[in-house]
Amino acid sequence: MATTAEAFEAHHDDHAHSHADHKPGFFARWFMSTNHKDIGTLYLIFAIIAGIIGGAISGFMRWELAEPGLQIMGQLVNAMGGDGSSFDQQGHMWNVLITAHGLIMVFFMVMPAMIGGFGNWFVPLMIGAPDMAFPRMNNISFWLTVAGFISLLFSMFVPGGPGGVLGAGTGWTVYAPLSTSGSEGPAVDFAIFSLHLAGAGSILGATNFITTIFNMRAPGMTLHKMPLFVWSVLVTAFLLLLALPVLAAAITMLLTDRNFGTTFFDPAGGGDPVLYQHLFWFFGHPEVYIMILPGFGMISQIIATFSRKPVFGYLGMAYAMVAIGVVGFIVWAHHMYTVGLSVNVKMYFTAATMVIAVPTGIKIFSWIATMWGGSITFKSPMVWAMGFIFLFTVGGVTGVVLANGGIDDNLHDSYYVVAHFHYVLSMGAVFSIFAGFYYWFPKMSGRWHSEMLSHLHFWVFFIGVNVIFFPMHFLGVQGMARRYPDFNEAFAYWNEIASYGYLIMAASMVIFFVNIGYALVAGRRAEGNYWGEGATTLEWSLSSPPPFHQFETLPVIEDHHDANDHISAKPATA
Amino acid sequence: MTTQTLDTRNRKTMAQMFALALGMLGLGFAAVPLYDLFCRVTGFGGTTQVASESEARLASMLGLEAGAPEYSIRFDANTARDLPWEFTPVQVTDTVTIGQRDMAFYTARNTSDRPITGTATFNVEPEQAGRYFNKIQCFCFTEQTLQPGEEIRMPVLYFIDPRALEDENMQGVEQITLSYTFHESTTSRNPTDNDS
Amino acid sequence: MTFGDFARTPLQKLAMMLAAFSMIAAPALATAQDAVVEEAVVETATAPATEAAPADEAAVAAEAPAFEHFGADMIKGQPEAGGIDFQPQFTADGQFAHDMHNYLLMPIITVISLFVLGLLLWVIVRYRRSANPVPSKTSHNTLIEVIWTVVPVIILVVIAVPSITLLARQYETPPEDAITIKANGYQWYWGYEYTDNGGFEVISNMLTAEEALDTREPFQLAVDNRMVVPVGVPLRIQTYGADVIHSFAIPSLWFKLDAVPGRINERMLLIEEEGIYYGQCMELCGSRHGYMPIAIEARSMEDYNAWVQAQGGQTREQIAAEAAAAAAPAPAAEEAPVVTGAEAAVPAAE
Repeated sequence: MATTAEAFEAHHDDHAHSHADHKPGFFARWFMSTNHKDIGTLYLIFAIIAGIIGGAISGFMRWELAEPGLQIMGQLVNAMGGDGSSFDQQGHMWNVLITAHGLIMVFFMVMPAMIGGFGNWFVPLMIGAPDMAFPRMNNISFWLTVAGFISLLFSMFVPGGPGGVLGAGTGWTVYAPLSTSGSEGPAVDFAIFSLHLAGAGSILGATNFITTIFNMRAPGMTLHKMPLFVWSVLVTAFLLLLALPVLAAAITMLLTDRNFGTTFFDPAGGGDPVLYQHLFWFFGHPEVYIMILPGFGMISQIIATFSRKPVFGYLGMAYAMVAIGVVGFIVWAHHMYTVGLSVNVKMYFTAATMVIAVPTGIKIFSWIATMWGGSITFKSPMVWAMGFIFLFTVGGVTGVVLANGGIDDNLHDSYYVVAHFHYVLSMGAVFSIFAGFYYWFPKMSGRWHSEMLSHLHFWVFFIGVNVIFFPMHFLGVQGMARRYPDFNEAFAYWNEIASYGYLIMAASMVIFFVNIGYALVAGRRAEGNYWGEGATTLEWSLSSPPPFHQFETLPVIEDHHDANDHISAKPATA
Repeated sequence: MTTQTLDTRNRKTMAQMFALALGMLGLGFAAVPLYDLFCRVTGFGGTTQVASESEARLASMLGLEAGAPEYSIRFDANTARDLPWEFTPVQVTDTVTIGQRDMAFYTARNTSDRPITGTATFNVEPEQAGRYFNKIQCFCFTEQTLQPGEEIRMPVLYFIDPRALEDENMQGVEQITLSYTFHESTTSRNPTDNDS
Repeated sequence: MTFGDFARTPLQKLAMMLAAFSMIAAPALATAQDAVVEEAVVETATAPATEAAPADEAAVAAEAPAFEHFGADMIKGQPEAGGIDFQPQFTADGQFAHDMHNYLLMPIITVISLFVLGLLLWVIVRYRRSANPVPSKTSHNTLIEVIWTVVPVIILVVIAVPSITLLARQYETPPEDAITIKANGYQWYWGYEYTDNGGFEVISNMLTAEEALDTREPFQLAVDNRMVVPVGVPLRIQTYGADVIHSFAIPSLWFKLDAVPGRINERMLLIEEEGIYYGQCMELCGSRHGYMPIAIEARSMEDYNAWVQAQGGQTREQIAAEAAAAAAPAPAAEEAPVVTGAEAAVPAAE
């Protein structure tokens, strides 16, 4: 396969080079970009910036929670121009932090990194397309996301709480009536509007991905031969397309309830606040799969590459993702077990939720089976991927515990839930993002990161996040409620440990940035297929970084493998 | 494959996907009336039913045929925090024969110095009783306006549908709570209050 | 070492001293408590006790048996410092759920996690490049794929059976004569309305750090007025949110029910032991979400009735007797409903 890839690359260079590297000027290239790789890069940079902000906010949170009593909320309120001695304003400050942390990490870190960043970069490359179907719409998607982020940051600096204190303190779920009659001032409006903008950007992006994947695959690449990462983005795009409009409708109604006197969720006018929760979680549950499915795709590519084996059970893997996507739409009320559901409804959602464990289990075991019999090299992406498998399993099994409506009566809205979703997201999604980052960074930048630092980053991060989040299970079963700035002394022990974990995690991020800096300044040049034999998807047939315009001559996918992830390309004219 | 056909195909796919998204957006908004309808039809969330006189007569006959067992009914009253009314049930509990109509009273008093129009939301617990709890008349069907200091007695005329006896989910239910919450009607709210 | 262990020994002495003191000062205490009740009641719009109180106050105080709140030695449900298990459970459903978690779910998820970890370690060792230079090309094995689909299904069914049982138990409806107590969530405190005992409402606020230290209770869990309930009998707990959504949650009773504006929720609760059980609001409700704890004090029916009377409420027996008296002479019955709901004839639940 390496030979075919090289042959294609050589051919490509022959007569495509002249205009393939014709790049526009700086402003046109980065602000009016229509190139999927440049937009992907923009998304990744954006996600890193958002991640730094969201991570810094969680630093304040861990600082606050390091010991009982309010430590830093007063200073923060003062810094924001409020009255730091006001108990209410301190409490509101905390709510602003958790709200911002949640929204930033979900909408402006994980989603842009996975779908906007890696999706934009590698979906066209992997399917042999010259670019996305709608390059200008792609640009609009990105800048809508940026506008959404700015709106969210802006919401932190306009009044939204008691005494005119700044920021939206509704939690990322923006439940009515706390977000309607319970929050005065424009902060919540800006936070909601930021979701509108980011959501619109994501819907445009999803449309773009679906169109690209359906219509622009290279000749011979049937749906059943697409790399699993492309499959994962396809399923994700459909989830976005079906779920985000429902969120848009729900938060639009919140806005009109807040500003125009409607009563969609206000019982005074015949509305029902519980309906908002139904609508939110109808979006919210698919949303968590939106955040993890592209990660599944990346992990599949990485495991296959470094095991030098095709993915085990390719079709099962692809359709497991489809199944997860479909089932994701019919389990939403497990986020609302305590809202007053009837017993039959709760039994249904308990059963339906547990069903998700089956396709998820198929994926975990298929990854292991892919490694089984392989010839594994432990490069940094592989190490992150293996970390992902284990930690995602841990996060997944606590999900099975929470799925039980009767058990959840005690764990609901406790730190157990916080631990659970950080294991699947802060470790699942983020580990897969780092895995994908180290996998493709030389491809994207043309320069090598330090493998040593990448491994070091992994180990320190691995220890850090586990020290943060594992004790949260204990806090949860002991009854510590989430979204609390303060706690009884009994909870101090594990909270202090978790806060130390944050320091370890933060240190690992320093290693990460040093690594990127090193790579960009002094990293050695990467060749086209730097992972060698195991890396068989089409992006490895191109140079690193790929030419500004690629696949002007469409590659043809040879049919010498049965349906699996193992694809080689030959130039159409060869 | 020519660029022309790819462009056309892409536009077509995009249009389909946008239609899908718009459809979901529409469904999101449609969820409000649909949820309302769903609750009213199925009694989901303990939503009570509205019955006509003829339905009440039929229920009464069926109830007698079923041997006229009894249910205990509990009456519950709440007011939204910003509504200066005293709102209480006249009777905390009552016993009704299944199928037979019963009249219960609530009193409401406006403790403020301005006329206030209130509107009541309601549900029953346990939730599964919602579809069998039929109201023939209720003060919650309309808005109520109280002058400063005025007190009124408000009736609810209701019956329990005898079909409840056949429902497995109603086995073991001994008491049904009928709960009302009075809110200040959005139409009567102070106009200076419209900022949030 | 829990706070409770630490506190127990000195507190037992303290409690005995308090008990002795209360015997001497019973009448004084009773009036003092009434004063406290008065304060609480002022905040409620619906509490009928305000109208009834002044005339009968002295009489009620004199009749009512002495009631002394439990001290910190009776704390049963509270977090344990550094604890890694659930709080001990004091309801049958809680024990069921706790057992289901500890003896079914925990072993299963631990074994699954360790199994996956073991497989990962095995492939790391066995299939590293130096140990296995030539990768196999296997990408299918129908049997193994069927196995790893069916086995999880079986495991889930094994979990589902007790899970559904647990749900069915939790949703058992309260009997007609269950004591009804409403937990009303306000920003940011709880109000406990005793609808079966005259409808008074007890307003419950968090104790300050100093006050909690004084009573040797855990800060941020201790409250000024606890929700006193009878032990060993079914309670009909109803929740209502007066402004935004709150959640009435007590970990040691495995109980959590949201308090939603515009509707009530209801669940049965049966506490098995006398004691104090702490909980907190568990649905984000604004600035002081973290500062509206719940403290339930479960007492014998006798003590409960004494407490109810000390609050200006009536026991069931009193209400039943009054209703019977009211029903006997015809004119009295006519008179009753004219005024507010307070003096209205309340039919006995029986």
